Amino acid sequence: MTVMNALRSRRLWLGALSIALVFAFYIWITNRPDNNPALLPPISDIVASFFTNLESGNLLTALGASLFRIAMGFFIGTTLALVIGCLIGWYKVVEYLLDPLIEALRPIPPLAYIPIIIIWFGIGEFSRVLIITIACFMVCVVNVIAGMKNVPQVYVDAASTMGASRFQVFRTVAVPAATPFIITGYRIALAAAWTTLVASELLAAQNGLGFLLQEGRRYFMTDQVMMIIVIIGGCAFIMDRIFRKIQSHLMQWSEARE
Amino acid sequence: MPEIRIENLSHTFGKGGANALTVLDNINLQFESGSFNSIIGTSGCGKSTLLKMMAGLFTPSDGQMTLDGNVIEGTDRRRGMVFQQDAVFPWMTVARNISYGPRLRGASNKEQAEVEAKWTEMVGLKGFEDRWPRELSGGMRKRVDIGRVYANDPDVLLMDEPFGALDAQTKERMQSDLLTTWQKSRKTVVFVTHDIEEAIFLSDKIIVLSSRPGRVHHIEEVSLPRPRNDEMRLTEEFLDIKRRLWGMLDH
Repeated sequence: MTVMNALRSRRLWLGALSIALVFAFYIWITNRPDNNPALLPPISDIVASFFTNLESGNLLTALGASLFRIAMGFFIGTTLALVIGCLIGWYKVVEYLLDPLIEALRPIPPLAYIPIIIIWFGIGEFSRVLIITIACFMVCVVNVIAGMKNVPQVYVDAASTMGASRFQVFRTVAVPAATPFIITGYRIALAAAWTTLVASELLAAQNGLGFLLQEGRRYFMTDQVMMIIVIIGGCAFIMDRIFRKIQSHLMQWSEARE
Repeated sequence: MPEIRIENLSHTFGKGGANALTVLDNINLQFESGSFNSIIGTSGCGKSTLLKMMAGLFTPSDGQMTLDGNVIEGTDRRRGMVFQQDAVFPWMTVARNISYGPRLRGASNKEQAEVEAKWTEMVGLKGFEDRWPRELSGGMRKRVDIGRVYANDPDVLLMDEPFGALDAQTKERMQSDLLTTWQKSRKTVVFVTHDIEEAIFLSDKIIVLSSRPGRVHHIEEVSLPRPRNDEMRLTEEFLDIKRRLWGMLDH
Protein backbone atom coordinates (compact mmCIF):
# COMPACT_ATOMS: atom_id res chain seq x y z
CA MET A 1 0.00 0.00 0.00
CA THR A 2 2.83 2.38 0.83
CA VAL A 3 4.47 1.53 -2.47
CA MET A 4 1.22 2.36 -4.20
CA ASN A 5 1.01 5.68 -2.35
CA ALA A 6 4.60 6.49 -3.18
CA LEU A 7 3.97 5.77 -6.86
CA ARG A 8 0.81 7.81 -6.75
CA SER A 9 2.46 10.83 -5.21
CA ARG A 10 5.38 10.58 -7.62
CA ARG A 11 2.89 10.54 -10.46
CA LEU A 12 1.17 13.66 -9.10
CA TRP A 13 4.47 15.46 -8.63
CA LEU A 14 5.73 14.66 -12.11
CA GLY A 15 2.42 15.78 -13.61
CA ALA A 16 2.54 19.05 -11.69
CA LEU A 17 6.16 19.49 -12.73
CA SER A 18 5.41 19.44 -16.46
CA ILE A 19 2.65 22.02 -16.04
CA ALA A 20 4.93 24.19 -13.90
CA LEU A 21 7.67 23.98 -16.56
CA VAL A 22 5.31 25.20 -19.28
CA PHE A 23 4.27 28.07 -17.00
CA ALA A 24 7.86 28.97 -16.23
CA PHE A 25 8.76 28.91 -19.90
CA TYR A 26 5.79 31.17 -20.72
CA ILE A 27 6.74 33.66 -17.99
CA TRP A 28 10.34 33.65 -19.14
CA ILE A 29 9.46 34.26 -22.78
CA THR A 30 6.92 37.01 -22.01
CA ASN A 31 9.51 38.80 -19.86
CA ARG A 32 12.06 38.98 -22.64
CA PRO A 33 12.53 42.54 -23.92
CA ASP A 34 11.84 41.46 -27.53
CA ASN A 35 8.49 39.83 -26.68
CA ASN A 36 5.45 41.20 -28.50
CA PRO A 37 2.64 41.30 -25.87
CA ALA A 38 0.04 41.48 -28.62
CA LEU A 39 0.98 37.91 -29.59
CA LEU A 40 2.03 36.55 -26.22
CA PRO A 41 0.35 38.58 -23.47
CA PRO A 42 1.94 38.32 -20.02
CA ILE A 43 0.15 36.23 -17.44
CA SER A 44 -0.85 39.34 -15.52
CA ASP A 45 -2.86 40.53 -18.57
CA ILE A 46 -4.54 37.15 -18.90
CA VAL A 47 -5.53 37.21 -15.24
CA ALA A 48 -6.74 40.82 -15.59
CA SER A 49 -8.86 39.79 -18.57
CA PHE A 50 -10.35 37.02 -16.45
CA PHE A 51 -11.46 39.48 -13.74
CA THR A 52 -12.73 42.05 -16.24
CA ASN A 53 -14.90 39.46 -17.94
CA LEU A 54 -15.98 38.01 -14.61
CA GLU A 55 -17.11 41.41 -13.28
CA SER A 56 -18.91 42.38 -16.48
CA GLY A 57 -20.77 39.06 -16.33
CA ASN A 58 -19.61 38.15 -19.85
CA LEU A 59 -17.69 35.13 -18.68
CA LEU A 60 -20.43 33.55 -16.60
CA THR A 61 -23.05 34.17 -19.29
CA ALA A 62 -20.78 32.58 -21.86
CA LEU A 63 -19.91 29.68 -19.60
CA GLY A 64 -23.57 29.09 -18.78
CA ALA A 65 -24.57 29.15 -22.46
CA SER A 66 -21.78 26.76 -23.42
CA LEU A 67 -22.35 24.33 -20.57
CA PHE A 68 -26.06 24.24 -21.39
CA ARG A 69 -25.29 23.31 -25.02
CA ILE A 70 -22.83 20.65 -23.92
CA ALA A 71 -25.25 19.20 -21.41
CA MET A 72 -28.09 19.03 -23.94
CA GLY A 73 -26.02 17.66 -26.80
CA PHE A 74 -24.19 15.19 -24.61
CA PHE A 75 -27.31 13.92 -22.90
CA ILE A 76 -29.37 13.49 -26.07
CA GLY A 77 -26.47 12.15 -28.13
CA THR A 78 -25.27 9.55 -25.63
CA THR A 79 -28.79 8.44 -24.70
CA LEU A 80 -29.60 7.79 -28.36
CA ALA A 81 -26.24 6.07 -28.76
CA LEU A 82 -26.93 3.82 -25.78
CA VAL A 83 -30.36 2.76 -27.00
CA ILE A 84 -29.45 2.33 -30.66
CA GLY A 85 -26.03 0.82 -29.90
CA CYS A 86 -27.59 -1.79 -27.62
CA LEU A 87 -30.19 -2.69 -30.23
CA ILE A 88 -27.56 -2.99 -32.97
CA GLY A 89 -25.22 -4.98 -30.76
CA TRP A 90 -27.86 -7.35 -29.46
CA TYR A 91 -30.37 -7.90 -32.26
CA LYS A 92 -29.00 -9.24 -35.53
CA VAL A 93 -31.91 -7.79 -37.53
CA VAL A 94 -31.24 -4.28 -36.25
CA GLU A 95 -27.53 -4.79 -36.85
CA TYR A 96 -28.03 -5.80 -40.49
CA LEU A 97 -30.39 -2.87 -40.93
CA LEU A 98 -28.42 -0.07 -39.27
CA ASP A 99 -24.79 -1.10 -39.12
CA PRO A 100 -23.95 -0.23 -42.76
CA LEU A 101 -25.55 3.19 -42.24
CA ILE A 102 -23.50 3.88 -39.12
CA GLU A 103 -20.34 2.63 -40.84
CA ALA A 104 -21.01 4.93 -43.82
CA LEU A 105 -21.61 7.98 -41.62
CA ARG A 106 -18.81 7.27 -39.14
CA PRO A 107 -15.84 8.65 -41.15
CA ILE A 108 -17.59 11.99 -41.70
CA PRO A 109 -16.30 14.55 -39.19
CA PRO A 110 -19.30 16.03 -37.32
CA LEU A 111 -18.13 19.55 -38.21
CA ALA A 112 -18.79 18.75 -41.86
CA TYR A 113 -22.50 18.85 -41.06
CA ILE A 114 -22.33 22.48 -39.91
CA PRO A 115 -23.00 24.09 -43.32
CA ILE A 116 -25.98 21.90 -44.12
CA ILE A 117 -27.39 22.32 -40.63
CA ILE A 118 -27.11 26.10 -40.93
CA ILE A 119 -28.86 25.95 -44.32
CA TRP A 120 -31.64 23.81 -42.90
CA PHE A 121 -32.10 25.19 -39.41
CA GLY A 122 -30.34 28.57 -39.36
CA ILE A 123 -27.78 29.60 -36.77
CA GLY A 124 -29.98 29.29 -33.69
CA GLU A 125 -29.58 27.35 -30.49
CA PHE A 126 -31.13 24.26 -32.07
CA SER A 127 -28.42 23.99 -34.71
CA ARG A 128 -25.60 24.20 -32.18
CA VAL A 129 -27.11 21.57 -29.91
CA LEU A 130 -27.81 19.40 -32.95
CA ILE A 131 -24.16 19.43 -34.04
CA ILE A 132 -22.98 18.48 -30.56
CA THR A 133 -25.64 15.77 -30.41
CA ILE A 134 -24.46 14.27 -33.70
CA ALA A 135 -20.83 14.33 -32.58
CA CYS A 136 -21.61 12.69 -29.22
CA PHE A 137 -23.85 10.10 -30.83
CA MET A 138 -21.36 9.02 -33.48
CA VAL A 139 -18.37 8.50 -31.19
CA CYS A 140 -20.45 6.92 -28.44
CA VAL A 141 -22.54 4.51 -30.51
CA VAL A 142 -19.44 2.83 -31.94
CA ASN A 143 -18.23 2.04 -28.43
CA VAL A 144 -21.60 0.78 -27.26
CA ILE A 145 -21.78 -1.58 -30.26
CA ALA A 146 -18.23 -2.80 -29.63
CA GLY A 147 -19.12 -3.41 -25.97
CA MET A 148 -22.19 -5.45 -26.83
CA LYS A 149 -20.26 -7.51 -29.37
CA ASN A 150 -17.46 -8.26 -26.93
CA VAL A 151 -19.69 -9.81 -24.30
CA PRO A 152 -17.98 -13.17 -23.61
CA GLN A 153 -20.11 -16.00 -24.99
CA VAL A 154 -19.62 -18.09 -21.86
CA TYR A 155 -21.53 -15.51 -19.75
CA VAL A 156 -24.39 -15.57 -22.24
CA ASP A 157 -24.40 -19.39 -22.24
CA ALA A 158 -24.23 -19.54 -18.45
CA ALA A 159 -27.22 -17.23 -18.08
CA SER A 160 -29.21 -19.08 -20.77
CA THR A 161 -28.64 -22.47 -19.18
CA MET A 162 -29.89 -21.03 -15.89
CA GLY A 163 -33.14 -20.21 -17.61
CA ALA A 164 -32.65 -16.55 -18.53
CA SER A 165 -34.77 -15.32 -21.43
CA ARG A 166 -33.08 -13.48 -24.28
CA PHE A 167 -34.13 -10.15 -22.77
CA GLN A 168 -32.97 -11.17 -19.30
CA VAL A 169 -29.58 -12.10 -20.73
CA PHE A 170 -29.45 -8.67 -22.33
CA ARG A 171 -30.39 -6.86 -19.13
CA THR A 172 -28.43 -8.88 -16.58
CA VAL A 173 -25.40 -9.94 -18.62
CA ALA A 174 -24.82 -7.98 -21.82
CA VAL A 175 -25.30 -4.48 -20.39
CA PRO A 176 -23.10 -4.95 -17.31
CA ALA A 177 -20.46 -6.82 -19.32
CA ALA A 178 -20.40 -3.95 -21.84
CA THR A 179 -20.19 -1.23 -19.17
CA PRO A 180 -16.43 -0.62 -19.54
CA PHE A 181 -16.89 0.06 -23.26
CA ILE A 182 -20.00 2.16 -22.68
CA ILE A 183 -18.29 4.38 -20.12
CA THR A 184 -15.33 4.85 -22.45
CA GLY A 185 -17.81 5.87 -25.15
CA TYR A 186 -19.32 8.46 -22.81
CA ARG A 187 -15.92 9.90 -22.02
CA ILE A 188 -14.93 10.20 -25.65
CA ALA A 189 -18.33 11.76 -26.33
CA LEU A 190 -17.65 14.39 -23.70
CA ALA A 191 -14.39 15.34 -25.39
CA ALA A 192 -16.17 15.42 -28.75
CA ALA A 193 -18.84 17.67 -27.24
CA TRP A 194 -16.23 20.28 -26.29
CA THR A 195 -14.59 20.14 -29.72
CA THR A 196 -17.81 20.65 -31.60
CA LEU A 197 -19.12 23.20 -29.12
CA VAL A 198 -16.26 25.58 -29.73
CA ALA A 199 -16.39 25.03 -33.48
CA SER A 200 -20.11 25.68 -33.65
CA GLU A 201 -19.80 28.80 -31.50
CA LEU A 202 -16.89 30.12 -33.54
CA LEU A 203 -19.01 29.89 -36.66
CA ALA A 204 -22.31 31.16 -35.48
CA ALA A 205 -23.13 32.41 -32.01
CA GLN A 206 -23.84 35.59 -30.10
CA ASN A 207 -22.68 34.13 -26.80
CA GLY A 208 -20.70 31.24 -25.38
CA LEU A 209 -17.02 30.54 -24.86
CA GLY A 210 -16.42 30.13 -28.59
CA PHE A 211 -17.99 33.54 -29.15
CA LEU A 212 -15.62 35.14 -26.62
CA LEU A 213 -12.71 33.48 -28.45
CA GLN A 214 -13.92 34.89 -31.73
CA GLU A 215 -14.45 38.32 -30.18
CA GLY A 216 -10.92 38.24 -28.77
CA ARG A 217 -9.51 37.47 -32.18
CA ARG A 218 -11.58 40.14 -33.92
CA TYR A 219 -10.52 42.94 -31.53
CA PHE A 220 -7.01 41.57 -31.10
CA MET A 221 -7.48 40.88 -27.39
CA THR A 222 -4.99 38.04 -27.22
CA ASP A 223 -5.22 37.99 -23.43
CA GLN A 224 -8.94 37.18 -23.68
CA VAL A 225 -8.26 34.41 -26.20
CA MET A 226 -5.63 32.88 -23.91
CA MET A 227 -7.93 33.19 -20.90
CA ILE A 228 -10.80 31.38 -22.64
CA ILE A 229 -8.48 28.60 -23.78
CA VAL A 230 -7.43 28.04 -20.19
CA ILE A 231 -11.08 28.10 -19.04
CA ILE A 232 -12.09 25.54 -21.64
CA GLY A 233 -9.15 23.33 -20.73
CA GLY A 234 -10.04 23.60 -17.06
CA CYS A 235 -13.73 22.81 -17.55
CA ALA A 236 -13.03 19.82 -19.80
CA PHE A 237 -10.44 18.57 -17.32
CA ILE A 238 -12.80 18.84 -14.34
CA MET A 239 -15.59 17.07 -16.22
CA ASP A 240 -13.27 14.28 -17.26
CA ARG A 241 -12.15 13.86 -13.65
CA ILE A 242 -15.76 13.64 -12.46
CA PHE A 243 -16.34 11.02 -15.12
CA ARG A 244 -13.37 9.01 -13.98
CA LYS A 245 -14.73 9.03 -10.45
CA ILE A 246 -18.06 7.71 -11.69
CA GLN A 247 -16.22 5.16 -13.80
CA SER A 248 -14.11 3.80 -10.97
CA HIS A 249 -17.23 3.63 -8.79
CA LEU A 250 -19.18 1.68 -11.40
CA MET A 251 -16.20 -0.51 -12.22
CA GLN A 252 -15.37 -1.68 -8.70
CA TRP A 253 -15.73 -5.23 -9.92
CA SER A 254 -13.19 -4.89 -12.70
CA GLU A 255 -9.52 -5.62 -12.37
CA ALA A 256 -8.70 -2.96 -14.94
CA ARG A 257 -10.44 0.02 -13.42
CA GLU A 258 -9.08 3.55 -14.01
CA MET B 1 -36.83 -44.95 -16.17
CA PRO B 2 -33.77 -43.41 -17.82
CA GLU B 3 -33.75 -39.69 -17.51
CA ILE B 4 -31.66 -38.66 -20.50
CA ARG B 5 -31.77 -40.60 -23.75
CA ILE B 6 -29.61 -39.90 -26.77
CA GLU B 7 -30.82 -41.62 -29.93
CA ASN B 8 -28.98 -42.01 -33.24
CA LEU B 9 -27.32 -38.67 -32.74
CA SER B 10 -24.83 -37.45 -35.33
CA HIS B 11 -23.40 -34.05 -35.92
CA THR B 12 -21.60 -32.63 -38.91
CA PHE B 13 -20.22 -29.11 -38.97
CA GLY B 14 -20.83 -27.44 -42.34
CA LYS B 15 -23.05 -30.30 -43.43
CA GLY B 16 -23.34 -30.64 -47.22
CA GLY B 17 -20.38 -28.32 -47.80
CA ALA B 18 -16.95 -29.16 -49.14
CA ASN B 19 -15.34 -28.89 -45.70
CA ALA B 20 -18.01 -30.85 -43.85
CA LEU B 21 -16.60 -32.32 -40.65
CA THR B 22 -18.42 -35.08 -38.83
CA VAL B 23 -17.66 -34.78 -35.11
CA LEU B 24 -20.22 -37.17 -33.67
CA ASP B 25 -21.36 -40.35 -35.37
CA ASN B 26 -24.46 -42.30 -34.39
CA ILE B 27 -24.34 -41.87 -30.62
CA ASN B 28 -26.82 -43.89 -28.54
CA LEU B 29 -26.68 -43.41 -24.77
CA GLN B 30 -28.83 -43.22 -21.73
CA PHE B 31 -28.18 -41.71 -18.33
CA GLU B 32 -30.19 -43.01 -15.38
CA SER B 33 -31.90 -40.62 -13.06
CA GLY B 34 -29.64 -39.62 -10.16
CA SER B 35 -26.50 -41.22 -11.60
CA PHE B 36 -23.05 -39.71 -12.04
CA ASN B 37 -21.74 -40.22 -15.57
CA SER B 38 -18.51 -39.20 -17.24
CA ILE B 39 -17.65 -38.89 -20.88
CA ILE B 40 -13.96 -39.23 -21.64
CA GLY B 41 -11.99 -39.10 -24.85
CA THR B 42 -8.99 -37.36 -26.35
CA SER B 43 -9.41 -33.78 -27.50
CA GLY B 44 -11.38 -33.50 -30.69
CA CYS B 45 -13.67 -36.44 -29.97
CA GLY B 46 -16.67 -34.12 -29.74
CA LYS B 47 -17.37 -34.66 -26.05
CA SER B 48 -17.84 -30.95 -25.33
CA THR B 49 -20.07 -30.60 -28.37
CA LEU B 50 -22.21 -33.46 -27.10
CA LEU B 51 -22.55 -31.83 -23.70
CA LYS B 52 -23.46 -28.45 -25.18
CA MET B 53 -26.17 -30.19 -27.17
CA MET B 54 -27.59 -31.64 -23.98
CA ALA B 55 -27.60 -28.11 -22.57
CA GLY B 56 -29.48 -26.95 -25.65
CA LEU B 57 -26.76 -24.57 -26.78
CA PHE B 58 -26.32 -26.55 -30.01
CA THR B 59 -28.72 -28.43 -32.25
CA PRO B 60 -27.48 -31.79 -33.58
CA SER B 61 -27.74 -32.25 -37.34
CA ASP B 62 -29.27 -35.74 -36.93
CA GLY B 63 -30.97 -37.71 -34.21
CA GLN B 64 -32.42 -36.44 -30.98
CA MET B 65 -32.05 -36.30 -27.24
CA THR B 66 -34.80 -36.43 -24.68
CA LEU B 67 -35.07 -35.59 -21.00
CA ASP B 68 -37.85 -37.61 -19.33
CA GLY B 69 -39.29 -38.24 -22.76
CA ASN B 70 -39.36 -34.59 -23.82
CA VAL B 71 -37.20 -33.62 -26.78
CA ILE B 72 -34.39 -31.27 -25.79
CA GLU B 73 -34.71 -27.99 -27.66
CA GLY B 74 -32.99 -24.83 -26.56
CA THR B 75 -31.73 -24.00 -23.09
CA ASP B 76 -33.77 -24.65 -19.97
CA ARG B 77 -33.07 -24.20 -16.27
CA ARG B 78 -33.73 -27.93 -15.79
CA ARG B 79 -30.39 -28.58 -17.50
CA GLY B 80 -27.73 -26.57 -15.67
CA MET B 81 -24.20 -26.34 -16.97
CA VAL B 82 -20.77 -25.68 -15.47
CA PHE B 83 -18.32 -24.51 -18.10
CA GLN B 84 -14.66 -25.14 -18.67
CA GLN B 85 -14.00 -21.40 -18.77
CA ASP B 86 -14.59 -19.04 -15.89
CA ALA B 87 -18.30 -18.18 -16.16
CA VAL B 88 -18.73 -16.37 -12.83
CA PHE B 89 -20.13 -12.90 -13.52
CA PRO B 90 -17.34 -10.50 -12.49
CA TRP B 91 -19.79 -7.61 -11.96
CA MET B 92 -21.67 -9.44 -9.21
CA THR B 93 -20.45 -10.31 -5.73
CA VAL B 94 -20.18 -13.97 -4.75
CA ALA B 95 -23.61 -13.87 -3.09
CA ARG B 96 -25.30 -12.16 -6.05
CA ASN B 97 -23.79 -14.74 -8.39
CA ILE B 98 -25.17 -17.56 -6.24
CA SER B 99 -28.70 -16.16 -6.21
CA TYR B 100 -28.68 -15.21 -9.89
CA GLY B 101 -31.03 -18.02 -10.99
CA PRO B 102 -33.70 -17.48 -8.33
CA ARG B 103 -33.53 -13.72 -8.99
CA LEU B 104 -34.31 -14.36 -12.67
CA ARG B 105 -37.57 -15.88 -11.56
CA GLY B 106 -38.40 -12.99 -9.27
CA ALA B 107 -37.40 -14.50 -5.92
CA SER B 108 -37.98 -12.15 -2.99
CA ASN B 109 -35.03 -10.65 -1.12
CA LYS B 110 -35.66 -13.07 1.70
CA GLU B 111 -35.63 -16.10 -0.61
CA GLN B 112 -32.46 -14.83 -2.27
CA ALA B 113 -30.76 -14.39 1.09
CA GLU B 114 -31.69 -17.95 2.07
CA VAL B 115 -30.32 -19.38 -1.16
CA GLU B 116 -27.13 -17.33 -0.76
CA ALA B 117 -26.61 -18.47 2.83
CA LYS B 118 -27.25 -22.13 2.01
CA TRP B 119 -25.06 -22.41 -1.07
CA THR B 120 -22.11 -20.27 -0.05
CA GLU B 121 -21.91 -22.60 2.93
CA MET B 122 -22.35 -25.77 0.84
CA VAL B 123 -19.53 -24.90 -1.55
CA GLY B 124 -17.25 -23.71 1.27
CA LEU B 125 -17.35 -19.96 0.60
CA LYS B 126 -18.86 -18.77 3.86
CA GLY B 127 -17.35 -15.40 4.74
CA PHE B 128 -16.73 -14.53 1.08
CA GLU B 129 -20.31 -13.49 0.27
CA ASP B 130 -19.51 -9.85 -0.41
CA ARG B 131 -16.26 -10.36 -2.31
CA TRP B 132 -15.86 -9.64 -5.99
CA PRO B 133 -14.87 -12.65 -8.12
CA ARG B 134 -11.59 -10.93 -9.03
CA GLU B 135 -10.59 -11.24 -5.36
CA LEU B 136 -10.93 -15.04 -5.44
CA SER B 137 -8.59 -17.79 -6.64
CA GLY B 138 -9.45 -19.92 -9.67
CA GLY B 139 -10.60 -22.79 -7.44
CA MET B 140 -12.86 -20.53 -5.40
CA ARG B 141 -14.41 -19.06 -8.53
CA LYS B 142 -15.19 -22.59 -9.68
CA ARG B 143 -16.92 -23.13 -6.36
CA VAL B 144 -19.04 -20.03 -6.99
CA ASP B 145 -19.86 -21.42 -10.41
CA ILE B 146 -20.94 -24.80 -9.03
CA GLY B 147 -22.86 -23.20 -6.15
CA ARG B 148 -24.66 -20.93 -8.58
CA VAL B 149 -25.80 -23.83 -10.75
CA TYR B 150 -26.87 -25.87 -7.73
CA ALA B 151 -28.74 -22.90 -6.24
CA ASN B 152 -30.71 -22.76 -9.48
CA ASP B 153 -31.91 -26.30 -8.69
CA PRO B 154 -31.70 -28.00 -12.10
CA ASP B 155 -32.65 -31.67 -12.65
CA VAL B 156 -29.50 -32.39 -14.62
CA LEU B 157 -26.01 -31.06 -14.09
CA LEU B 158 -23.79 -30.88 -17.16
CA MET B 159 -20.12 -30.24 -16.41
CA ASP B 160 -17.58 -29.51 -19.10
CA GLU B 161 -14.08 -30.16 -17.73
CA PRO B 162 -14.86 -27.84 -14.83
CA PHE B 163 -11.59 -28.54 -13.01
CA GLY B 164 -9.39 -28.56 -16.11
CA ALA B 165 -7.66 -25.30 -15.26
CA LEU B 166 -6.92 -26.09 -11.59
CA ASP B 167 -3.74 -27.40 -10.00
CA ALA B 168 -3.61 -31.06 -8.90
CA GLN B 169 -4.29 -30.54 -5.18
CA THR B 170 -7.13 -28.10 -5.67
CA LYS B 171 -8.58 -30.44 -8.26
CA GLU B 172 -8.69 -33.41 -5.86
CA ARG B 173 -10.31 -31.30 -3.15
CA MET B 174 -12.89 -30.04 -5.62
CA GLN B 175 -13.65 -33.60 -6.76
CA SER B 176 -14.25 -34.79 -3.18
CA ASP B 177 -16.36 -31.74 -2.38
CA LEU B 178 -18.36 -32.15 -5.57
CA LEU B 179 -19.14 -35.75 -4.59
CA THR B 180 -20.22 -34.64 -1.11
CA THR B 181 -22.56 -32.06 -2.56
CA TRP B 182 -23.88 -34.50 -5.14
CA GLN B 183 -24.44 -37.17 -2.47
CA LYS B 184 -26.83 -34.81 -0.69
CA SER B 185 -29.06 -34.03 -3.63
CA ARG B 186 -28.47 -36.80 -6.20
CA LYS B 187 -28.94 -34.90 -9.39
CA THR B 188 -28.17 -36.63 -12.67
CA VAL B 189 -24.67 -35.53 -13.63
CA VAL B 190 -22.95 -35.76 -17.00
CA PHE B 191 -19.30 -34.83 -16.55
CA VAL B 192 -16.92 -34.35 -19.47
CA THR B 193 -13.20 -34.74 -18.85
CA HIS B 194 -10.01 -36.04 -20.39
CA ASP B 195 -8.70 -37.05 -16.97
CA ILE B 196 -9.24 -40.81 -16.53
CA GLU B 197 -8.66 -40.80 -12.78
CA GLU B 198 -11.13 -38.00 -12.28
CA ALA B 199 -13.76 -39.92 -14.25
CA ILE B 200 -13.26 -43.13 -12.24
CA PHE B 201 -13.27 -41.36 -8.90
CA LEU B 202 -16.53 -39.54 -9.59
CA SER B 203 -18.64 -41.80 -11.79
CA ASP B 204 -21.08 -44.67 -11.83
CA LYS B 205 -20.63 -44.98 -15.56
CA ILE B 206 -17.87 -43.87 -17.91
CA ILE B 207 -18.43 -43.47 -21.63
CA VAL B 208 -15.29 -43.64 -23.74
CA LEU B 209 -15.57 -41.80 -27.03
CA SER B 210 -13.25 -42.54 -29.93
CA SER B 211 -11.93 -39.66 -31.99
CA ARG B 212 -12.81 -38.23 -35.40
CA PRO B 213 -15.61 -38.86 -35.65
CA GLY B 214 -16.70 -39.35 -32.04
CA ARG B 215 -18.27 -42.76 -31.54
CA VAL B 216 -19.13 -44.66 -28.38
CA HIS B 217 -16.11 -46.90 -28.03
CA HIS B 218 -16.74 -48.44 -24.62
CA ILE B 219 -18.97 -48.09 -21.59
CA GLU B 220 -17.40 -48.82 -18.20
CA GLU B 221 -19.57 -49.40 -15.13
CA VAL B 222 -17.70 -48.33 -12.00
CA SER B 223 -18.85 -50.28 -8.97
CA LEU B 224 -16.57 -48.72 -6.36
CA PRO B 225 -18.63 -48.21 -3.19
CA ARG B 226 -19.91 -44.81 -2.14
CA PRO B 227 -19.20 -42.54 -0.38
CA ARG B 228 -15.80 -42.50 -1.99
CA ASN B 229 -12.59 -41.22 -0.48
CA ASP B 230 -9.11 -40.47 -1.69
CA GLU B 231 -7.67 -43.81 -0.52
CA MET B 232 -9.77 -45.57 -3.15
CA ARG B 233 -7.64 -43.99 -5.82
CA LEU B 234 -4.93 -46.56 -4.94
CA THR B 235 -7.05 -49.72 -4.72
CA GLU B 236 -6.57 -52.60 -7.17
CA GLU B 237 -10.07 -52.18 -8.55
CA PHE B 238 -9.49 -48.48 -9.25
CA LEU B 239 -6.14 -49.10 -10.89
CA ASP B 240 -7.56 -51.95 -12.99
CA ILE B 241 -10.14 -49.66 -14.48
CA LYS B 242 -7.52 -46.99 -14.97
CA ARG B 243 -5.26 -49.37 -16.89
CA ARG B 244 -8.11 -50.58 -19.06
CA LEU B 245 -9.27 -47.08 -19.97
CA TRP B 246 -5.72 -45.87 -20.45
CA GLY B 247 -5.22 -48.45 -23.18
CA MET B 248 -8.37 -47.33 -24.93
CA LEU B 249 -7.51 -43.65 -24.96
CA ASP B 250 -4.05 -44.33 -26.30
CA HIS B 251 -4.87 -45.16 -29.91
